Amino acid sequence: MASNATSVEERRERARRRKPKRQIRMSDVLAWFTLILLLLFSLVPMAWMLSTSLKTQFAALQLPPEWIPSNITFEHYIRLLSPGSEVGQEFLRYFWNSIFVSTMTTLAAVAIAVPAGYAFSKFRFPGRQGFFIAVLIRNMFPAIVFLIPLFIMMRTFGLIDTHLALIITYLTFGLPLAIWLLKGFYDNIPTELEYAARIDGASRFQAFIRIIMPLSTPGIIATAIYAFIIAWNEYVYALTFLSSRNLLTLPVGLQRFFDEFVTNWPGLMAASFVMSIPVVIIFLVLQRFFIQALTEGAVKS
Amino acid sequence: MAVSAPQQATGQVATRNRREPKNVFQRAYRQWADYTYIMPALLAMFFVIAYPIAYTIYLSFYSTPTAGENVWNGLTNYTSIITAERFWMITQNTMYWTIVSTILAFIIGTAAALVAQREFIGRGLVRGIFLIPWVISHVATAYIWVWIFHSDYGLVSGMLMDLGIISSPLVILDSTTWAMPALILVNVWKDFPFIMIMMLAGLQTVPEHLLRAAKIDGASTWAQFRHVTLPHLKGVIIITLLLTIVMNLNHFTLPWIMTGGGPASSTHIWITEVYALAFRSLRFGIASAFSVILFIIMMSMAYFYVKAMTAGDDRRR
Repeated sequence: MASNATSVEERRERARRRKPKRQIRMSDVLAWFTLILLLLFSLVPMAWMLSTSLKTQFAALQLPPEWIPSNITFEHYIRLLSPGSEVGQEFLRYFWNSIFVSTMTTLAAVAIAVPAGYAFSKFRFPGRQGFFIAVLIRNMFPAIVFLIPLFIMMRTFGLIDTHLALIITYLTFGLPLAIWLLKGFYDNIPTELEYAARIDGASRFQAFIRIIMPLSTPGIIATAIYAFIIAWNEYVYALTFLSSRNLLTLPVGLQRFFDEFVTNWPGLMAASFVMSIPVVIIFLVLQRFFIQALTEGAVKS
Repeated sequence: MAVSAPQQATGQVATRNRREPKNVFQRAYRQWADYTYIMPALLAMFFVIAYPIAYTIYLSFYSTPTAGENVWNGLTNYTSIITAERFWMITQNTMYWTIVSTILAFIIGTAAALVAQREFIGRGLVRGIFLIPWVISHVATAYIWVWIFHSDYGLVSGMLMDLGIISSPLVILDSTTWAMPALILVNVWKDFPFIMIMMLAGLQTVPEHLLRAAKIDGASTWAQFRHVTLPHLKGVIIITLLLTIVMNLNHFTLPWIMTGGGPASSTHIWITEVYALAFRSLRFGIASAFSVILFIIMMSMAYFYVKAMTAGDDRRR
């Protein structure tokens, strides 16, 4: 018995000592290989966009294609971003319109989704399940199915060709997932915290604002990012609802550019790049909140 | 949030210390304050969902001439859509697009999640890079790839010619054979990060100790994945697949900008067709009927979606 035990002990000891050497395993090789392939897949198109945007129009049309432009030029960026030039004026206006619409959408989405997510998580009022299902169903329906009636409706209310029409529409695009995310978040906040606040004399609303909301900041940030990106990138509704040139948002504006300067690929790539920067930066800085919110909220619940 | 509440505690805020009234209306009245929290959401949803649905259904039974009154024409809109050969061709395109996109994006997204889950230096950066295609707009994506696929000066054509694989420029987006696969590639590029995020979130919920136990029992990496990880991910996989399928069925921007449905309608899918009917041909009645048909198809999928979504809730109560 005793000798048996020592031999087990010995074997373990040997196994432990062997570990640091760590032979290269198949699964590791496979993982690194996949990682590199996926990085190339994600990055090559972006790199090509950036590279093209730094070429002159002539250099962009050379064969074979050059990966690193021999003469780097910033002319396209300068033209887009200088308020003096005609193109720049237009581009900056689209940019500003996009920022305005996206920010308003985000503020409204957070203001509406936070109390709703909280109520769906903590209260048990009649019809709660039905409402929640209705909210989720919205996620299923093609944006475009609503396009025709919304177009006619907005026309009736005289909202065609206004930013308000877009803000209202984008708001409801983002709401279902936002409410769902936040509900999952509030599910994980102990109700006892609220009791404690109530015992200390806070009203239910005060407890919500002072205690619960600050705890759910990561969820709120995730919701805000989500709403902002949806609004920033949306195309179909902006295409249909807006006609005045000075109201266009970036995606539609970009298309206008494309139709007008078909052969100016470097210019278009520069515009695409500038348009992508804000969302990419926002997302890279705040993505951990997004993944955290999904993990803590949605998926777990 | 690290502290997790006993689940039973949820929901007692409103009803504690009160006798439960029998009547639903009495209960609703007692808890009127609860509704104020969801009122804004409900109003917004009603304004932009319930009303449009009703209006689409109404319009689908009318012929809508560009000038003059709408004329009732019963089921004519529906029958003319379904009997047209074009509808079935477009349905076929839609299936091709949806099924291939979903499968490819799912495989690549899951692979990305498994890779980005491992611990290594720079993991955050890698995750960030993978997510870039997902956050940039569809319009920018479309133009980047139109440029990559450009037949004379595009990257694909240029590289292949440079390598001597082809001798004349390769026509991609204007070819009935290659346009759809090219669109699918772009779609997969755009969507795989979404699947990665969902799977990554799902992977966090797999209990570490089970994996360790499996490892001690001598399970290979594959066996650990197959018998421990996968069963835990079932719920996430179902929801992610459903969401991806719906996303693909509803896709508009990529095909619309990159090919406009062409060449020879080979990349027209349901949604682009509805849009063209409504806003190019201005045939709102027919387009509405088409929407209603899509609606019914989506509804049946919504049923499964809600079932999958609320499955956890039911278990809890």
